Amino acid sequence: MSAMKPNDAAPTEDSGEEKDWAAAKAFFDNLKTNKPRPPKPRYAVTIAVSSRTLFNMVAERKIYEDEGMEKYVAYQVEHENEPLMPGAAFPFVKALMTVNSRLRQLYPDSEELFDIVLMTNNHAQVGVRLINSINHHDLTIERFCMTGGKSPTGYLKAYMTNLYLSKDSEKVTEAIEEGIAAATMFMPETENELSDTQLRVAFDGDAVLFSDESEIIVKQHGLDTFFEHEKEFENKPLAQGPLKCFLEALGKLQRKFYAKNERITCPIRTYLVTARSAASSGARVLKTLRSWGLEIDEALFLAGAPKGPLLQKIKPHIFFDDQMFHIEGAKDLGTISAHVPYGIGQKYHKEKLIEQPAKKE
Amino acid sequence: MSVDSARETLYHRGEADMVATIQNTDVKQEDAHGAVVVAVTSRALFGGDDDDDVSGVGVAFPLLQALQRVNQRLLEKDPAESLLFDVVLITTDSQQQQQSSRIVSSTRHHGLEVSRFCFSSQEDFIESLLTNNVQLFLSTDRNEALQASQQGVLSALLDRQGAPSEQLRVMLCGDAVVRPDAGPAPVSRPAAESFSSRLGEMRRRFGALDSPLSIVLVTSSGDRESCGVALRTLRSRGLGVDEAYCLAGAPRSPILSLLRPHFLLGDGVIGLED
Repeated sequence: MSAMKPNDAAPTEDSGEEKDWAAAKAFFDNLKTNKPRPPKPRYAVTIAVSSRTLFNMVAERKIYEDEGMEKYVAYQVEHENEPLMPGAAFPFVKALMTVNSRLRQLYPDSEELFDIVLMTNNHAQVGVRLINSINHHDLTIERFCMTGGKSPTGYLKAYMTNLYLSKDSEKVTEAIEEGIAAATMFMPETENELSDTQLRVAFDGDAVLFSDESEIIVKQHGLDTFFEHEKEFENKPLAQGPLKCFLEALGKLQRKFYAKNERITCPIRTYLVTARSAASSGARVLKTLRSWGLEIDEALFLAGAPKGPLLQKIKPHIFFDDQMFHIEGAKDLGTISAHVPYGIGQKYHKEKLIEQPAKKE
Repeated sequence: MSVDSARETLYHRGEADMVATIQNTDVKQEDAHGAVVVAVTSRALFGGDDDDDVSGVGVAFPLLQALQRVNQRLLEKDPAESLLFDVVLITTDSQQQQQSSRIVSSTRHHGLEVSRFCFSSQEDFIESLLTNNVQLFLSTDRNEALQASQQGVLSALLDRQGAPSEQLRVMLCGDAVVRPDAGPAPVSRPAAESFSSRLGEMRRRFGALDSPLSIVLVTSSGDRESCGVALRTLRSRGLGVDEAYCLAGAPRSPILSLLRPHFLLGDGVIGLED
């Protein structure tokens, strides 16, 4: 899937790029506010969030849907001095900022940080309210693309995005098809109280970290065949899924804390929350991770039990799963969930094949 | 545009280096006060492969087509519209001057609506710009653009770009908008502000969606706040921005190849490749 960014400078890196970088560095160094400068994109873990995941824009969205674009833009401009309230990705972004300040303390000269980019296809006039809101909440978001209606996918690639979060499943699907880790965010009615010192990220296994190859077997041939298959191929690593590279990026940052003896107090913790059972099909998963050189802090095998209650205990800032059934279960119990529209799970609801409407010619 | 035989009114043409302006009677002459006069060099327009009778098109061709499209859409909304682009084709060296009839016929051949042809030389082309009340001068030659800018004419470089868009896309450099106290204000500042306000007025004739022109703001080194200030400053000058990109030091070229602007307006003269 999406490749890790190259660490060595490309031989054709242009001096124009260095000039821009130097100018930005000078700009930020001269600011009276001591605001931290955003990292060099090549070395950073770039997280792109849409405006509707960063902020709660449900009321404004309704105006757009009911009254059209012109009224929507006019409304936003009229209210541009009223800051927007936090959205589904807000806690995640705050947690990323916490990790960044810890990293800056330990490695003051490193560019290996989270880079949070606002990626919205909102019109730039709406952008004034978005900037005001970012100011109000004191978020370290200095980079943004307000594309005025154009698809963000090209910009995601241009920014070497490691993870894209949006409310729009079409954009998310497009991003995944281009090899960018992406998910559609869902906000629970009532949120669980989350840690403000440690970023916690929970992943489903099949069709999220791993490909959907095994899930295809479950859906098409049933659980028994699945267990046999997994035991037989225990030592054959699964193929990558869309979020494998994001886990890899998190692991790289975690190791920077371990290198400074901060394993216990590491502000990043990762979880695998899978319906597989440890006894029969879990081994293959752990062996696959090991073959990739990736660590996961906690692996939780539910053997088919619902994920909601467990996630309630873990309290992740974000939970990735490919099946809407699990997303809903998590959301109902207060977990901020992100749907990864990938693989065979999209055609099924639980075990039943979803009736596809006849394709229009 | 009709391709009838020309009934050109040739103004006095004496010595080789005198400025001559030919009106193109196939094209409606714009109302002097309403129009936004844009001058493009013939070198920028005709740089392509040449046929026997007709010059091939160059870098400025898609731009002229985009300007024409804007005019068409404006006239669709209001047939009496006077705020239109008025395109002047200007030669800036004597070599091109000698090709005057070829330039005129090539323009017609390619269906371009040029209202006036100015034949001048390196020494006096700026005089042509001023006489013709040019509000924006576009050239592929950096020196020409710099000279014009130093005489107070808003100028921009035309660079070769990838697949051009149908929509006219004007890119503004936000870092210039926000830091006017960084050094002496360029001589072309008043021209830039007046052009922005006319462009803004033109943009307002259309809605947020489906506009034939788009205003794109890019800040390269500033922070989000400086981009916000640029948006508000431009708004106060009458120019509403459609798309905004704050790079804060991130590399510009990957974004530029997606943005596909026709030209870039900044402080002084900046090329897209800079």
